[in-house]
Amino acid sequence: MGGVVSLSNTRKTAGTTSGVEEENTSCCKKMSCNASVIRVHVPPEGQLQRAPVHLLPCEIEHSGSAQVSQYFTATTKDRKCEKTVSFRGRELKGQEISCPQGYTGLVLKETNKPGSDQEDRTVKVSSVFDKLTYWNLETPPNSDDMIVMAMDWPELADAIHGPVQD
Amino acid sequence: MDLSPFEKDNSVSCRLASQIPDVCKMEDCCLGIDEAGRGPVLGPMVYGICFCPVSKKEELKSSKVADSKTLTEAERENLFQKLDEANSYVGWALQILSPNTISTSMLQRTKYNLNALSHDTAIGLVQYALDSGVQLKEVYVDTVGPAEKYEQKLSHIFPGINVTVRPKADSLFPIVSAASICAKVARDRVVKGWNFAEELGDVETDYGSGYPNDPKTKAWLLKYLDPVFGYPQFVRFSWSTAQTLMDSKAVAVHWDDDEEDGEKTAQRQGNKSMLSYFGASAGGNEQNHQTHRFFTERRLKSLSTL
Repeated sequence: MGGVVSLSNTRKTAGTTSGVEEENTSCCKKMSCNASVIRVHVPPEGQLQRAPVHLLPCEIEHSGSAQVSQYFTATTKDRKCEKTVSFRGRELKGQEISCPQGYTGLVLKETNKPGSDQEDRTVKVSSVFDKLTYWNLETPPNSDDMIVMAMDWPELADAIHGPVQD
Repeated sequence: MDLSPFEKDNSVSCRLASQIPDVCKMEDCCLGIDEAGRGPVLGPMVYGICFCPVSKKEELKSSKVADSKTLTEAERENLFQKLDEANSYVGWALQILSPNTISTSMLQRTKYNLNALSHDTAIGLVQYALDSGVQLKEVYVDTVGPAEKYEQKLSHIFPGINVTVRPKADSLFPIVSAASICAKVARDRVVKGWNFAEELGDVETDYGSGYPNDPKTKAWLLKYLDPVFGYPQFVRFSWSTAQTLMDSKAVAVHWDDDEEDGEKTAQRQGNKSMLSYFGASAGGNEQNHQTHRFFTERRLKSLSTL
């Protein structure tokens, strides 16, 4: 098994980019890849901040802070069956979805990027989320959307790989 | 003119209208159509119709309505006041196309250009007058595009109505001037009192004319450019002025329907382009197993590193 990240042994986690499974309970988790090691630093439960998360249907060539609440949240409209907003003059339609049951979303931040891929890396959990808003370009949100379908995996994985009960 | 229905949500298109004078439901009427704020990079575009009985044309003429562009703002407000006082026989309706509507329409996946948007808006307003019971016999339209084709289109949609489409119709027909005044007054008021939905604190309102070549407008666009979001919804993102500024001063944003070189896209996404398969090392690193459709359809990948 490749990646291993978790908050505690009772709660599973879904990473921000893909799902990862639970294993141990210590405060620093390791993920090994080739020779280097990735450490995930998890602050104590009480210090974890919840953050609103948006998944946009475009690639923004920017890593860093943005005035999300001033520009984006402030102009988001709650319509009948969907949320609407526009970004860079393009219409987005979206909805809020929850993380699969028992999972928590993590926003990971790497403060010191290593110079080479041989070095160990440390990433920190900067905030957590149990729901997120995903946005489609012009298309109303529906159950066929990729992210909605992706959330099926944990349950299916459990059915396939989970312990067999008599 | 009560703008509050638009001000409640200035991100969408909104129709405002006067009462329909009873006489307009009984007598044959003429109707004029004009627009205000087509060119500016800031604020809404407003379409206006104005109508009155054909028998009252002369009366309208004597009120000296003229092309709104040749009037000062105060003169326009004054004339609008006069039109409002003539509400026993003059009616009007406006369609305010918010800058956000303009941006999202023009930048839509299946592009909806400004001409088509304009035509549809004008048609919608004429239909509104008909649906309200106005006895339309003559329609006069100001146009920027080819007049003849537009005239044919409108005549076809509204059989039995005599449609006249002319460039500069606002200086030829008083009823078009009246429509032009209504539209321009609404546009000016909306721009002046623009309520920014974004939380930007006190926004400087010295926008200038809103036309791209106005130095004040340019300065404002430079000042209120956000590297990630670009602009507040007050700005028409589909205008090349806004696009050019964002291209040079904001971060790049890529959409899946961008018309971009495939090779470039592939490079950016760290994918291999088609061409790379013709290179020397082709076939050297085959994948040893194929991922099941269940995962590719959900863009799920097993994670071995971050």
